Amino acid sequence: MPRDGGTGKKRGGKLGFWFFRTSLRLLGISGTYGFLYFVCFHYLIFDSAAVSASMAYMRKRFPNHSVVRMYIDVYRLFINQGKSLIDRYYAASGHGKYDARLNGYDRIQRYFRNTDRGLILLTAHIGNWQFAMTALRRLDKTVHLLMRPEDNEAVKSVLNIDSDNGNIKIISSEGYLSGVIEAMGAVYEGEIVSIMGDRPYEYKTVQTVFLGSMASFPIGAFTIAAAAKCPIVVLLSAKTGKRSYLVDITNVIELPDSPRGDRDEVVLAGVRKFAGVLEKYVEEYPYQWFVFEDLWQNDLGDKVSARERAR
Amino acid sequence: MNINREEELAKIRKDLKEMLVRDLHLEDVKPEDIKDDEVLFGEGLGLDSLDAVEIVVLLQRNYGIEVRNMEQGRTVFYSVDTLANFIYENRKQSD
Repeated sequence: MPRDGGTGKKRGGKLGFWFFRTSLRLLGISGTYGFLYFVCFHYLIFDSAAVSASMAYMRKRFPNHSVVRMYIDVYRLFINQGKSLIDRYYAASGHGKYDARLNGYDRIQRYFRNTDRGLILLTAHIGNWQFAMTALRRLDKTVHLLMRPEDNEAVKSVLNIDSDNGNIKIISSEGYLSGVIEAMGAVYEGEIVSIMGDRPYEYKTVQTVFLGSMASFPIGAFTIAAAAKCPIVVLLSAKTGKRSYLVDITNVIELPDSPRGDRDEVVLAGVRKFAGVLEKYVEEYPYQWFVFEDLWQNDLGDKVSARERAR
Repeated sequence: MNINREEELAKIRKDLKEMLVRDLHLEDVKPEDIKDDEVLFGEGLGLDSLDAVEIVVLLQRNYGIEVRNMEQGRTVFYSVDTLANFIYENRKQSD
């Protein structure tokens, strides 16, 4: 699963983080939110890549909106992502307390009582997924994030990653064989592997209908789950109030055990289910999906290898 | 003793090549086209990370061996030769 493409460049940088940290200390969370309106307006004007990718989503989600209205939608999306980042820092700093309601915990707890196999936690760039991870600490399971370690320093600081007593670790998707052997090993050890399932980047993908058109989704999580014979639990997170988040793990995708020849159909069926769950999510929380990539871009199909398409 | 070892390794290599072609759906590649020391991933045979997932399953299903460790995987997954040696050694241990 090769590296990032698309609009995945880093934004803000150290100066930006310093600015918001200082602002949080001096002005509190409401004052810091206020700055977002200016910062996001700057991005709306100058960050054409992020705007263009977001417009692709808005065109599908709000097909009846005018172009001007869609720009406002994108602006709202940027502001919400900013709030999500600020909340994450505020919580990490220890100043802010957030209420995270966790739906579906009992089912997962029951699963782990009955098996020594782990599971795949499939999530997306929604709400505040890093924040949601902390709500899963009470499962008392090591969670491995399959991601680029340098992708987001904020993730490390918020989630206490790889510290002596931390139960969240990173598997590098840029490591040997993109970390898949390590991921499967973790599942075999009864642990949780968290994978992002929305941005295709340059990973192997399949296409399925999403918001009315064919969109590409990466298949890594589904391939690993099918091979390791473990369920996929979809992790959703949404900001529901000024200081409250909803974390939902009620959607479980079970991939049937199948002969190798049927694996692609099984994977596609899993992707369809995930797309259905994500579609319901964006219907309810349209401004909390920070995908910033055009999943409907026609040439994404070319990123699927010829062999993959021939299967 | 060594003759037995070599014979067994040759059989494992042959089986592996057949399994790779069949289970990974390698088009335009015949088992006999794959060299024993040919690099499997990236250059060489051109397999990718999701093919590695299939090989992990293939080892488990056909030989009862689980690869859990990435460092181990890095050495083992290099070529058909290294895979065959790994299978031979681990199968022997469990015998």
